Amino acid sequence: MNRLDFHTKIAALQQLDKTKTVQHRIGICCGAGCISSGSEEILKKLESEVQQRGLSEKVEVIPTGCMGPCNHGPLLKHLDQHTIYQKVNCTNITSILQQHVIEQTLIEDQLLFSDSRTNAHADYRADPFFKKQCKIALRNCGKINPESIEAYLLQDGYKALDKALFEYTPEEIIGEIKHSRLRGRGGAGYPTGIKWETVYKYVNNEKYVICNGDEGDPGAFMDRSILEGDPFSVLEGITIAAYAVGASKGYAYIRGEYPLAIKRFESALKQARKWGLLGNQILGSSFHFDLEVRIGAGAFVCGEETALIASIEGKRGTPKPRPPFPAQSGLWGKPTLINNVETFAAIVPIVLKGGEWYSEIGTAKSAGTKVFALAGKVNYAGLIEVPMGTSLREIVFEIGGGMQNQASFKAAQTGGPSGGCIPIEFLDVKMDYESLLSLGSIMGSGGLIIMDEHSDMVDVARFFMEFCMDESCGKCVPCRVGTKMMHDLLQKICINKGTNKDLERLEELALYVKETSLCGLGASAPNPLLSTLRHFRSEYETRIHPSQDTVQDKNQSG
Amino acid sequence: MNTIHVNINNIEIPTTADKTILDVCREHKIDIPTMCHLKGLSDVGACRLCIVEIEGMNKLQSACTTKVADHMIIQTNTDRIKKYRRITTELFFAERNHVCSVCVANGKCELQNLGYQVEMDHVRYPFLFPQCEVDTSHPWYVMDHNRCIMCTRCVRVCQEVEGAHNWDVMNRGHAVRIISDFNTPWGESTTCTSCGKCLHACPTGAIWPKAIVQGQLEKKPEIIEELIEKRKMHDGF
Ligand SMILES: Cc1cc2nc3c(=O)[nH]c(=O)nc-3n(C[C@H](O)[C@H](O)[C@H](O)COP(=O)(O)O)c2cc1C
Ligand code: SF4
Repeated sequence: MNRLDFHTKIAALQQLDKTKTVQHRIGICCGAGCISSGSEEILKKLESEVQQRGLSEKVEVIPTGCMGPCNHGPLLKHLDQHTIYQKVNCTNITSILQQHVIEQTLIEDQLLFSDSRTNAHADYRADPFFKKQCKIALRNCGKINPESIEAYLLQDGYKALDKALFEYTPEEIIGEIKHSRLRGRGGAGYPTGIKWETVYKYVNNEKYVICNGDEGDPGAFMDRSILEGDPFSVLEGITIAAYAVGASKGYAYIRGEYPLAIKRFESALKQARKWGLLGNQILGSSFHFDLEVRIGAGAFVCGEETALIASIEGKRGTPKPRPPFPAQSGLWGKPTLINNVETFAAIVPIVLKGGEWYSEIGTAKSAGTKVFALAGKVNYAGLIEVPMGTSLREIVFEIGGGMQNQASFKAAQTGGPSGGCIPIEFLDVKMDYESLLSLGSIMGSGGLIIMDEHSDMVDVARFFMEFCMDESCGKCVPCRVGTKMMHDLLQKICINKGTNKDLERLEELALYVKETSLCGLGASAPNPLLSTLRHFRSEYETRIHPSQDTVQDKNQSG
Repeated sequence: MNTIHVNINNIEIPTTADKTILDVCREHKIDIPTMCHLKGLSDVGACRLCIVEIEGMNKLQSACTTKVADHMIIQTNTDRIKKYRRITTELFFAERNHVCSVCVANGKCELQNLGYQVEMDHVRYPFLFPQCEVDTSHPWYVMDHNRCIMCTRCVRVCQEVEGAHNWDVMNRGHAVRIISDFNTPWGESTTCTSCGKCLHACPTGAIWPKAIVQGQLEKKPEIIEELIEKRKMHDGF
């Protein structure tokens, strides 16, 4: 399909949409969370109910991606009236159809947050949970059918690629991305524009683009939700990236534990190929690009870029020392661009609205928005997207609706097993790369676990150390043996058998593993330990009995 | 190739950019301990013993995998590096069951020498005492996982020099093990040519020929490089 045909088809689609008689578009959340609480069955029930009552002309039932407030699912959203009902089931779905859709009366006690707020909002957008958010990467999540390219096209889908191919040179696109100050959302926060430029500058007729959808940190479901809720925007972002850096082949590495994400992404690939938006001579231009899905086997370390590349090559997924970086020598030794799912999801809006627009959101050093998987002891847990620099307090107490059961906030864990814990003294910390780093934590990929007074910080450190110990690839000594030693020492302290000497060794090992490990897994594995030692040292000390020192030391030095 | 200049431990050294830091140090008799490096094989940077400090880089880099660059300023023996090398050595000893006094490699073991080199007077970490297998199924050789330090020199020599790829690695973390074929007894291997290169590449007493006793092992790790050089001459490279 050439550009002109494409425009004609889009116009026809829009025309068709306008002539639709549908007045009520009802979205049922089919994100992984809601599906696991039965939303697919509810969707079927609603569809058949609509049919039976002869409402098909007026009511359209749409499966959507994640709507956000995951712990209140299954969720139903009236997409035209912006009303969300919570905890929908196969029984109350009929009364919602009857009352809300047919009789047009609000069912107040089933509105989202109606059980915890005195006045729940009929328009969800007015609720603090949504008001403080700014959805860019998640702009289509929970709004459209993720398995329909037509639905995506109606949301200005592929306008950015069209613009990129015919109105911009690769240099100009890279310029826009640099101007946007977008930083990689996979954890390290490396400036995306500079990475693209580096790959672009290596002269090679074979280059690759890889989308990192391995998301292995416990508690994280940002990339999953994006892939499940809006796969086309990730795909379009990858395609634009390929055009910018000069790649004609790409891989999307998605972890095997995400079958739904894989299914929806593959369905997106198929539809895009059909529309000529992937493959040879895209939109009639001279640009060729195709993409394949590679399924990860669930090793955390395979999210590390060099291990991921080894895995795509069919080798054992273990990291390699960098330099050389993948930009220079990546997949099959060729220049390779590797970015995170969320990074790619931000590309389309940047190309459409300009780098300037994006760079004005957020803080001086961290532009744009960040998606967080808000979990733990807050009232409203789920998937949120906020401007960089939003304070932790706002996230916990305004968006998250405060602590469950009026418990008191103790700490927030960010960055998963590579991150750390932020204590109550720093509740006003701005959520951006630098501020979190200065507190001994990291932004990471966006896991955010809120803990209350009942959480045991030594046990938290032990939990994450156990995770790193199990997930260490075993290639280098500091990480392979060091995490095991640190884990055993933490375990000992947890059962009140630790000594001051143990604590000393723990600290020494932590620094050693951090500084000498080959890859980021080992280098960041001590972070939860070091940050809890920094902010909650007394919890370690109260468990240590100096009387044990002499006895234990004799036993150990034999 | 153009001459470049690097500064190692405050000494200016002229060299070329195709070399690694380790190459340059070895040429100039600057002592850097290594375990996973073996001349002739690819480098993997796994043992972390050859870590060095490079000015302007916030991370320690492995000398075996990092190429020199003009004006690079390198320190190979600071107190921090010495301390970390000693911890690495202790962790090697604590990880599996290294009982030197009954080992075939006693006196000729690279790990034992490393212990002396970094002045390890005792191991401060608890020994893990894992249950490890001793594979005696091969008619001539033994693989004793108790003494394996996962340097993967056997894996690389088998794949890169012999071209057989009998050895590989399985599992993750401290459960990693060297395996023959798809984790079957070495004696049943369909890929092993019984060439014995892995035995010479192994730095410890993990791979050894049958019918020798404690302390009698003769290893010649340098033959790997000799072999590669001879092949090159033969092939007229
Ligand atoms: C142990 C480890 C696990 C990682 N896991 C992921 C992951 O699941 N997803 C991801 O995008 N990046 C992950 N990364 C970061 C990648 O190595 C890489 O930096 C990233 O994909 C680059 O994309 P970005 O620039 O868009 O952030 C991981 C890094 C390490 C060290
Ligand atoms: S730091 Fe851990 S995960 Fe990374 S290479 Fe070393 S052993 Fe493997």
